[in-house]
Amino acid sequence: MHISEGVLSAPVLVAGALLASSGVAAGLKKMDYDRIPEVAVLSSAFFVASLIHVPVGPSSVHLVLNGLLGVLLGWMAFPAIVVALVLHAVLFQFGGLTTLGVNTVIMAAPGVTAYYIFNRPVRRGGRMGALAGFGAGATGTALGGILVAAALLSTGEGFVGMARLVLAAHLPVMVIEGIVTGFCVTFLKKVKPEVLEVGK
Amino acid sequence: MNTQDSKPKTQNSGFRKRASRFSRRGFRVVRDAVMLLLVVSSTAYAHKVSIYAYAEDGMIHAEGYFADGTRSRNSRIEVFDAKTGEKLLEGRTDDEGRFTFKIPKVTPIRLVLLASMGHRNDYTIDEAEVRKAMGLEAPAGGKPEKAERGPGHPPSPAALPAASPGEIEAVVSRVLERKLQPVTTMLLKLQEESGRPGVTEILGGIGYIIGLMGMAMYFKGRSRK
Repeated sequence: MHISEGVLSAPVLVAGALLASSGVAAGLKKMDYDRIPEVAVLSSAFFVASLIHVPVGPSSVHLVLNGLLGVLLGWMAFPAIVVALVLHAVLFQFGGLTTLGVNTVIMAAPGVTAYYIFNRPVRRGGRMGALAGFGAGATGTALGGILVAAALLSTGEGFVGMARLVLAAHLPVMVIEGIVTGFCVTFLKKVKPEVLEVGK
Repeated sequence: MNTQDSKPKTQNSGFRKRASRFSRRGFRVVRDAVMLLLVVSSTAYAHKVSIYAYAEDGMIHAEGYFADGTRSRNSRIEVFDAKTGEKLLEGRTDDEGRFTFKIPKVTPIRLVLLASMGHRNDYTIDEAEVRKAMGLEAPAGGKPEKAERGPGHPPSPAALPAASPGEIEAVVSRVLERKLQPVTTMLLKLQEESGRPGVTEILGGIGYIIGLMGMAMYFKGRSRK
């Protein structure tokens, strides 16, 4: 989901940067003292998840976890993701500093969307909570893919074909992401329910 | 009382049955996901694509690969004249992520690899390498033969009948090429591996995040007082 430098046109980059910075500002405003460690831990998880490629069959996949971050953190997913993406760009040249804004929106906005859809049932827990977690994970990946396709519109590639390609590539990841997110929220509900209490 | 008691029990066992059915279904979902993964190749999902190219024998060989080491198959490669920016040709990589073409022009050549979904990278081969691969001398040179025949080096009679300098050069370059082949492959591999994230960087990144957390807590904590 990291778009490289030199692919997108300037207006898209600027729009992405503006959207991302307002998202980050909103997230920082909501972030109070007690939740800083949680944001940092999830930011680390996001940072690492994209780096670990699990070989499956002829290719490999990795997790994004933007759905999990979104549903747990809400708007605070923006600062968490932007920090991890800066590190991705600086340490590994994944994405890039000019595309930082666009990439942040691509990954954080679906997370925030997942928060608004699945926040309640995830916090209530139980089997519905696990299912909602699955939904959050899958939504994060699917919307992310659609946003990638939308951002690439400006490069002149047709949206429909592009979206189909992106979604086909993300379909397996969507399922896995959903399962992992579902297990994560169930696990958290069991061992650390206070994480799911705050920020109703 | 008794009837009331028994009712939840049956419900409970029903629930358990349903739960086991759920877990079986869950297992099936996981299995299907894995099967799907085997079918759908998701190389396009990786983060970063790299390209490496070298010139040899009048041809340019380019290779594209993703950060996880998989080859970028069927990706577009555009070839530019790095001096003028003019596009010379374009093509697609094969199943091995390779693309080979004849050198179209003696000039520094820039290759741009456009893998799907916004992945892009480029690589430039300088003019000297292109010239060498074309069998041309460097622009300033072109007279090494003359220098060898200069007065300072009288041709030794024993060496003379063996071969002309041109022939020797051809033989040497052929042998060298063969000897250097493993080295070239090794370099390619090394470059490929250096693009992959290492443990040091991952731990470093986590360290940065923890540091930022500390700073954020420090400032927030101070303003709270």
